[in-house]
Amino acid sequence: MRVAILQMEGTNCEEESYIAFKETGANPEYLHINNLTEGMLESYDMIFIPGGFSSGDYIRAGAVFAARLKAKVWKDIVDFVESGKPVMGVCNGFQVLIELGLLPGTEGISEVPQAALMTNNSNRFECRWVHLEKINDTMFSRDVPNKIMLPVAHAEGKFFATQNIIKKIEDNGQVVFRYISPDGTEPEYPWNPNGSINNIAAIVNSYGNVFGIMPHPERAYFPFQHPDWTRNPRNIGDGYYIFRSLFKQINEAKSR
Amino acid sequence: MKLKKIATGVYEVNIIDATDEELDEINNTMGLALSMDEMKKIRDFFRKMGRNPTDLEIHAIAQGWSEHCSYKSSKPILRKYIFGIPSEHAMIVMQDDAGVVELDDEYAYVFKIESHNHPSAVEPYGGAATGVGGIIRDVLNMGAKPIALVDPLFFGPPDYRGKLNKGIKHPLFLINGVISGIRDYGNRVGIPTVAGITYFHEDYVNNVLVNAGCLGVVKKDKIVRSAVDKAGVKLVMVGGRTGRDGIHGVNFASKILDEKSEEERQAVQLGNPILKEPLIHLVLEANELGIIHGMKDLGGGGLGSVVGEMCHAGGVGANVYLDRVLLKEGDMVPWEIWVSESQERMLLAIEDKNLPDLEKLCKKWDIEMSVIGETIEQKNLRIFWHGNKILDMPLEFITAGVEYERDYTVRRVQEMQEIPPEPNYRRVFLKLLSTYNIASKEWVIRQYDHEVQGRTVIKPMHGIVGYESHGDAAVLKPLHDSWKGIAITTVSNPHISKLNPYLGALYTVDEAVRNLVAVGAMPSSMSDGLNFGNPERPEIMGEFVETCRGLGDAARTLGIPYVSGNVSFYNEAFGKNIPPTPVLMAVGIIDDIRNAITSDFKKEGNHIYLIGKTTGEMGGSEYYSLLNASSTIVPNVNIEKTKLLSEQLHSAISKGLVESCHDISHGGLGVTLAEMSIGGNLGAEIDLKNMEHFRPDIKLFSESPTRWVCEVKPENTGKFESLVDGKSIGVVDGDRLRVKDGERWLFNVNVDNMRDIWKGSLKKYLR
Repeated sequence: MRVAILQMEGTNCEEESYIAFKETGANPEYLHINNLTEGMLESYDMIFIPGGFSSGDYIRAGAVFAARLKAKVWKDIVDFVESGKPVMGVCNGFQVLIELGLLPGTEGISEVPQAALMTNNSNRFECRWVHLEKINDTMFSRDVPNKIMLPVAHAEGKFFATQNIIKKIEDNGQVVFRYISPDGTEPEYPWNPNGSINNIAAIVNSYGNVFGIMPHPERAYFPFQHPDWTRNPRNIGDGYYIFRSLFKQINEAKSR
Repeated sequence: MKLKKIATGVYEVNIIDATDEELDEINNTMGLALSMDEMKKIRDFFRKMGRNPTDLEIHAIAQGWSEHCSYKSSKPILRKYIFGIPSEHAMIVMQDDAGVVELDDEYAYVFKIESHNHPSAVEPYGGAATGVGGIIRDVLNMGAKPIALVDPLFFGPPDYRGKLNKGIKHPLFLINGVISGIRDYGNRVGIPTVAGITYFHEDYVNNVLVNAGCLGVVKKDKIVRSAVDKAGVKLVMVGGRTGRDGIHGVNFASKILDEKSEEERQAVQLGNPILKEPLIHLVLEANELGIIHGMKDLGGGGLGSVVGEMCHAGGVGANVYLDRVLLKEGDMVPWEIWVSESQERMLLAIEDKNLPDLEKLCKKWDIEMSVIGETIEQKNLRIFWHGNKILDMPLEFITAGVEYERDYTVRRVQEMQEIPPEPNYRRVFLKLLSTYNIASKEWVIRQYDHEVQGRTVIKPMHGIVGYESHGDAAVLKPLHDSWKGIAITTVSNPHISKLNPYLGALYTVDEAVRNLVAVGAMPSSMSDGLNFGNPERPEIMGEFVETCRGLGDAARTLGIPYVSGNVSFYNEAFGKNIPPTPVLMAVGIIDDIRNAITSDFKKEGNHIYLIGKTTGEMGGSEYYSLLNASSTIVPNVNIEKTKLLSEQLHSAISKGLVESCHDISHGGLGVTLAEMSIGGNLGAEIDLKNMEHFRPDIKLFSESPTRWVCEVKPENTGKFESLVDGKSIGVVDGDRLRVKDGERWLFNVNVDNMRDIWKGSLKKYLR
């Protein structure tokens, strides 16, 4: 399973993402956008857009990365998505997928962004751990337990769209993870760390093959990356299950 | 000042015939910040040469001789006390831009702490950001991958209502500017900020202190030195372009601040993390290819310092063609190019045959490069400008600089300690939790990404998610295939150093050890960031000497070397000097990160131990400061005891006998217990009767050194007691912290109540 980890100036979570794929048994490769040419993506089984601050995020987060991808290899990306191969974006990568119009993708790929990841309600960057509940089984979540913990680290992560789009996302079963509070009550801040509508933390497109998530599964791959491992021992980090689901799914698809 | 134009933008300055008044005029007009003696030394030099210098030559000398570059006031003292502490593992000590220490057979760690005080006082956002940028380059230029940042900060109180001198900005403005500057740079460049200090005191209203430290890892066989040792090697600038930002930064840093400092905004550089991020990749990939012969970052002093120091260190000279430097502004003149401190620039020494490889990497990462010169055998620096030779001097004269044995006096404070009336314990305990130096710093910590790179296995905040409290140190797991960990902490105790710089230094080293041992690490090495006032004042120089003597004595006894460091003098404004503020960035090694522990209480029924002896010196304590009670007597430190107890405790933690551990510092035992309760969301029942015989407020709030609180499972108490010399003081229990001294109950407070007060205090200043 060949995974293209896309890079440009300012992406900075590529190394831990690389390790996560490698540990799961995949073959990740760094692919700098400056070295990306037409026809190149086709040979990969998956595209992964890591977190960071692509081009500094001095304008809307992810907008520059998306514009460069569109200018360079837009047709290849459309073909990749239409062929059913998985595309995943974490944090800044999720922002890029929204800017590209690949997410929420309620009716396939959209010409213009249908949603936004807005500035957090707290109006600042925050790095903290959140509790998540799995809402739908997808190729990215099938092996994930119902409740997991992952870290968030962003200033722009408030998922927002018109009521109409939100309704479609919900009706289509596109919500993959929601922020929850540890005691099961409505997740107020900081449990919903950014003010996302319907506590949405991760979504998939209507085809089920493009996945965007604000929290960082690659930073919770190993048990000792969790903040509470000194009190709650675990065998594996919660982020592992997302990579595991993907790996199994792709290998099954390939062997069919 | 008599000038003669000799090329575009280059003048000859008549210094040979200058009178003393004219020397003074040259010094002021050119912004050199040199002393009269130094100006005379330059005049003598050129009289001997039999010619007048160009303006560039004078600027180059001023830069090389600035306090910031030459350490002219501090070097003799540092040599006596700080340098040369023997260590088995230290590899490169106080030579290049950062210290290098062995991590295991294959890897070394590299680190340094540095100050960026003056720029942050004038332009807090940009000053703090470039402070982070600069320290990253210091680690990068050793060939190391930067994996952690720390940021000790010292401000005036956020609610300061006193008078502000002209040009001095309100602490709240500085706090928000500095913290956002660090956040926006550190987060963008993708290096986690894992430790720091946010200290508030009126002593810093006029002089904010912004220190930044960075740690990296490198394979031992890939360490790059900041030296070129053969002729014919090309000097290549990579990264950012050279502009007018940061001109005379080092001269600015070697002056006191005044109402005109605002006009020196040009001395503050502009950072660009999104140029730095790919530059890090580029440098590391070039290093992996083995094509870097020598490397140094362009920081204080700019190109001038770097070319000089790199060649001087390797025993060669250089030809530099200034017209080949890529510029932000086309009309810059040679001296500006030579001294500019524009950010994100590195100088690489590359052999001809390897230039194509470097070009390829630059193309991939979209980074500009320019070959600006080459090394030569003759030990001279020669600079050319569109074919004209505009500088030709022996490197020795420019870089070896000057040294001063400055006069100093050691101030002795009359020893006295007031005994205040016994307080209402509950009220004073809760009040202490809300004082700015004790209250939760979560609002700062969470604005920094401390998780990026996925190596942070013990976070800066410890405890149940959503209930976390302060920890003593962060732990990183630097290598993918090894369980080895690196613990990092930063410490400073200006409230003690102010009363007694020598004992303050001992106390600070002791606290560094306490913090590292508390997470299960063994101290390995330190970097010293020494922030002081104006060294031309004998009493300030006395504080510096006493501090260094203390830092040296403590570290030598413990066998922990200082491998890198920085001195920031001239933290004076409007006649006010900062208190002696030695900041330590200390690094410990933990053989297996799975044995690391945190500070939060884990389980009801576990026993609580107090390790170390409590004493009654209350000078500098938060408790006395809160009561406005006076004491000039500060705690002494028995460093032999520090060594003994830290080894005992480390051994117990390594054997898995300790569930949680927290050192006792600001606010004493009371605050330590509160933080352990807050993080674990668990109360405790504590009895102080087994402690040394003091009034309960001294037992609770004394900040005497070399003490920890440990939580131990009932089944492990026997084994623990056989290893560690500690006193049982209670058990983890319920949801309230209940404290008595024998039969007398002192207070009984709900954990949620404590947390709200502790977390709420600084929250209102959060922007």
